[in-house]
Amino acid sequence: MPQFRRYGTRLLLLFAGVVAAAQFADYLLVTRANRRNAVDRIHENLVKGAGLFARRVDARLQELSGRAALMSDDYSIRQLFLKDQPDPATVRSALRSYSVRMGVPFMTLISPEGVRIGDTGGPLPEAALKPFQDLVQVAAAAEDPKATGFARLPQASPDGKLYALLVVPIYAPKPEIVAWIGLAMPIDQRFALELKSDAQVEVTFYYGASESMLPVESTLGLGATPQTETPLGDSAVVTVLVAGEPYVTAYRPLLPLVTPGRAAIALQRSLRAELAPSLPLERFLLILLIASLIAAALVAAVLARNLSRPLRSLAEHTRVIASGDYATRLDLNRADEIGQLAAAFNRMSDGLAERDRVRDLLDKNVSPEVAAQLMKDGGALGGEEREVTVLFVDLRSFTRLSESLPPREVLILLNRYFDRMSGIVEIYHGIVDKYIGDAIMAIFGAPVTQPGHADNAILAALEMQSALARLNAELATEGRAKLSFGIGINTSRIIAGNIGSSRRLNYSVVGDGVNVAARLQDLTRMSQFKADILVSASTLKAARGSYRVRDLGAAPVRGRDEPVEVFAVEGPA
Amino acid sequence: MRHFLLFFLVVSLTASARASGTVRVVAKDPSGTPVADAVAYVLAIDAPAPVRPPADPVAIIQKDQEFLPYVTAVVVGTRVSFPNKDTVQHHVYSVSPAKKFEIPLYIGESSATILFDHPGPVTLGCNIHDWMVAYIYVLATPYFAKTGTDGAADITGLPPGRYRLELWHPRLAAKVGREITIEGTADSTQVVSVTLRPDRRIRRAPDSEGLGYK
Ligand SMILES: [Cu+2]
Repeated sequence: MPQFRRYGTRLLLLFAGVVAAAQFADYLLVTRANRRNAVDRIHENLVKGAGLFARRVDARLQELSGRAALMSDDYSIRQLFLKDQPDPATVRSALRSYSVRMGVPFMTLISPEGVRIGDTGGPLPEAALKPFQDLVQVAAAAEDPKATGFARLPQASPDGKLYALLVVPIYAPKPEIVAWIGLAMPIDQRFALELKSDAQVEVTFYYGASESMLPVESTLGLGATPQTETPLGDSAVVTVLVAGEPYVTAYRPLLPLVTPGRAAIALQRSLRAELAPSLPLERFLLILLIASLIAAALVAAVLARNLSRPLRSLAEHTRVIASGDYATRLDLNRADEIGQLAAAFNRMSDGLAERDRVRDLLDKNVSPEVAAQLMKDGGALGGEEREVTVLFVDLRSFTRLSESLPPREVLILLNRYFDRMSGIVEIYHGIVDKYIGDAIMAIFGAPVTQPGHADNAILAALEMQSALARLNAELATEGRAKLSFGIGINTSRIIAGNIGSSRRLNYSVVGDGVNVAARLQDLTRMSQFKADILVSASTLKAARGSYRVRDLGAAPVRGRDEPVEVFAVEGPA
Repeated sequence: MRHFLLFFLVVSLTASARASGTVRVVAKDPSGTPVADAVAYVLAIDAPAPVRPPADPVAIIQKDQEFLPYVTAVVVGTRVSFPNKDTVQHHVYSVSPAKKFEIPLYIGESSATILFDHPGPVTLGCNIHDWMVAYIYVLATPYFAKTGTDGAADITGLPPGRYRLELWHPRLAAKVGREITIEGTADSTQVVSVTLRPDRRIRRAPDSEGLGYK
């Protein structure tokens, strides 16, 4: 029973497993595709954002450059250069006035030789000079004399900010460059927020003196944004955890950076927010997965029951058959393989019942020993040579008797006689080989070997004599004629086995010795012998017991050159 | 594009003894095109050569809203006047280290003359018209000449002796100069290769006059 239960479990696991695998693969594929799509969409946005940032910085610098060009052609600024030594305070106030006009927090004036003429002041001046000087050199060498770059100012200060720097010339008149104007445009929180509202991406500006960069401005909040060591490149898109939430992030370097270190803009978008629209579908798929798992489990359970129940019935039925009940039939009422199996079982029961009947019949028709031998051999043709004692007993004058009686009476009388005689044969372990008319042919020593087959045959013959006397006494009281018989016994080596065709077989013996026994029986009719039981010398020789015998001398036997020495058995010694 | 100085010289000179000599300087760019408006001058090495500024001012006029001539070479101590032949006002100025000045908006013959008392280049501009530009090259030597459209300039009246020949041009990319020797009255021709920066002057629209500015 546990095996069946395990079979059901196996089926259940198989079903559920297959369904689960298919559904789970489906779920995985969908979620992964969603994720990939989301990342792709974000990436696209980030690329757009990066482009927008570059264009915005460019446009702003372009605009500032245009304003600076206007300013440089201004009459009043030339006035500053008309003096041999410009008054620093005047220069500063003039530059401040210009910086307000242009909307930049810092402005400086640098001579063509790179010497600072003046600036707007504030926290930057001293520290800010160097990057502007570098840019002046770049601008002086350029065909269009201007230069831009990113910078962190003040460079070493922890409260330094990122700026986009611009250097444009002052002509007096063109193409004579009498000085350079340096402008600083902050890349600050406002810039980041503007970019965020336009590009729909989170913006963080990073700066680091070494490989590791720290956020300096962020629309996500400086506390939440982690530092980064990501190498900067166009294809650098990574997923970064910001306050525990995954953000697809693209880093772009701020180039050229005219101050030492590294600076970058990080454009980010929340993966969770991007995935939000596809979440209901994923949740639905998950529910579908669980539902189909349950359905598969139920179907598997029903199937398992459907299969294991008839199997249990079959197992039960085998026990019924094993107990010997061949009459009960299994009715599963199925057309499938299990139904066929049940039908096969029923046919087997039929076969077993048939065999039982045959066995029963066999027992009645042949001696139990032969039946057993037949069951054992399976009715195979074959034979063996062995020593046996053959006994022939034949009623005398029975033909005449049978003529005076109706056939039914004859048969009843004959069977009564046969019944007594056969019983004696069996008592002495012989077998009735066949009934030949009113004669019985019995064999001792086959098919089961017995050492005392000669004695058994002689003793059986003597017992038959007594039995016949008792039968005759009965017949006398019934007012019938008495019976007499003659018995011939011979011991010899003969062939024993199943004789006949493959369709019909008899266990029997063949050989010269059988004829001799029949001949001896014939000789009992000779009146000069005055004997009912005749045995050959070979039987006496084989016998171990001793009997009262009378030597009758040699008698010729038909079909035999040598005469047989015949003895009459008169009783036990 | 960067401009490198390609500097070579071909000296072909015949020498003969005379009281004063003449040097013909031919300025060419590396492609062989003659360079006009270059100031060629020599500096005496053996004995100082005093300069004598002219008594009358040298004039640089403004006509059709342009300075004329484009390049003017003067010796230290020369006075320059800036007569305005236009119907619009001009505001001439210079912020060059050699001479910083301005002549506020005026029209006609300004009474003001400017004394150029330091050697070096002076860039002239007009506060009203961005495209107006001209140069005065103030020299500390009396021996100079300006190249014409053929790139040639004759420096005359040179006593025998050793000189340093130099060349200046508004767009000169790098200084050029070489030492030459004047022997007697022999004339020599000095071909000087100069590399110029691109011309970045503001181009006026050709019909800007005709748009009603009178
Ligand atoms: Cu003017």
